[in-house]
Amino acid sequence: MGFDFKYSVMWESVPTLLVGMKLTILITIFGLVIGFVLGALTGLLKIARNPLSRKLAGVYIESIRGTPIMVQVMFIYFGLPMALGMRIHPMAAGVVAIAVNSGAYIAEIVRGAFQSIETGQTEAGRSIGLTHFQTMYYIIWPQALKRMIPPLGNQFIISLKDTSLLVVVGVGELTRTGQEIIAANFRAFEVWLTVALMYLVMTLSLSRLLNYFERKMDINK
Amino acid sequence: MIKIKNLHKSFGTLEVLKGIDLDISQGEVTVIMGPSGSGKSTLLRCINRLEEITSGTVIVDGQDIMDKNTNINMIRTEAGMVFQQFNLFPHKTTLENVTLGPLKVRKMSRPDAEKLGRQLLEKVGLADKADTYPDHLSGGQKQRVAIARSLALRPKAMLFDEPTSALDPELVGEVLEVMKQLGREGMTMVVVTHEMGFAREVADRVIFMDDGVIVEENTPKEIFSNPQNPRTQGFLKSIL
Repeated sequence: MGFDFKYSVMWESVPTLLVGMKLTILITIFGLVIGFVLGALTGLLKIARNPLSRKLAGVYIESIRGTPIMVQVMFIYFGLPMALGMRIHPMAAGVVAIAVNSGAYIAEIVRGAFQSIETGQTEAGRSIGLTHFQTMYYIIWPQALKRMIPPLGNQFIISLKDTSLLVVVGVGELTRTGQEIIAANFRAFEVWLTVALMYLVMTLSLSRLLNYFERKMDINK
Repeated sequence: MIKIKNLHKSFGTLEVLKGIDLDISQGEVTVIMGPSGSGKSTLLRCINRLEEITSGTVIVDGQDIMDKNTNINMIRTEAGMVFQQFNLFPHKTTLENVTLGPLKVRKMSRPDAEKLGRQLLEKVGLADKADTYPDHLSGGQKQRVAIARSLALRPKAMLFDEPTSALDPELVGEVLEVMKQLGREGMTMVVVTHEMGFAREVADRVIFMDDGVIVEENTPKEIFSNPQNPRTQGFLKSIL
């Protein structure tokens, strides 16, 4: 009773899996866009002069980094609605989970990139009469952004893969779709292999895209 | 032009400036010398408030820099600063480094700013480097761009914080040449440096600082040939 590998199962599952993949991509994009804004703001709060804003940012970052994303997802989908007395759409819960989770890590990336810019740059900006905001906008931010790209790319890939955890709240993304196909045809090997390859296609494309931006921003070539 | 009265500056419990009085008039070139840790850079940085002063008054171009009604950004455009480490903006071309201030602070139009930028790059001998990024320049060239960047705001005074200390010896001359020319054109300059040749040739006055106070001040000729204070004598002996 040898294992009978069937290519045809892989091909046949692709159209259905593509539907799930589309959802995975959508959640990733919305989650990361919100996560980036949240992370950039939190990162800046973390280095602000006001001690209260530093504290607040710290509490957010530490509580997200210190708890499993699975627990965060379940808390947002099952926990929060009980406290708020309203239902939350699984997709919305997914986007919020990815945003809140990636935001904490992105905040640290943003903070690190800003702090890595030499103080001389700020002093030079201020010494030609730029305001604090102008110095940040014209001098520090563009340099920091360039240094953020490699770690951001890393985080984007992690968040993309984290969307597979949304299977626990029933979002029909790629992993969930795979599970459903297997429930009907019992071909776990072929289907999970196809699912894995599809994740790989997404993460590799994302890496390529980020490499392209990195090269584009490298002015000294 | 610059009036400093009883200036004190402490970093935590460490008092770096212990009561400085200094008057710098328009067009005067003042060189500040002294051993490392004597407070000379801090003094310079207090003039455009890159360091907050602890007590005393600093008046630049008639305005008290600590006064609430003083716009510190405008003071900074009147007292340009040149740093030891150049601090050029690496993501901007040479010309963009020079035009940023005129564009964003002086609200000049782009054609006017670029015209001014090119004029200043020519003045410091770098007209052909307008579109080059700082990483492709030598230290001496970077420092000349930094001088042009400060001059672009048409400041009334220029502050130089050890402008040649980070340079290879063969590149010092080209930067000093630009500074000498500025001095001859009547720019008010305060220069922290150990370049005795520069002080002799251009300075109206040399100030010797040690341990947070002005120990001695005189014309370069007097202070170098006939230093009065033993600390000045010791220091001059050590750098010759």
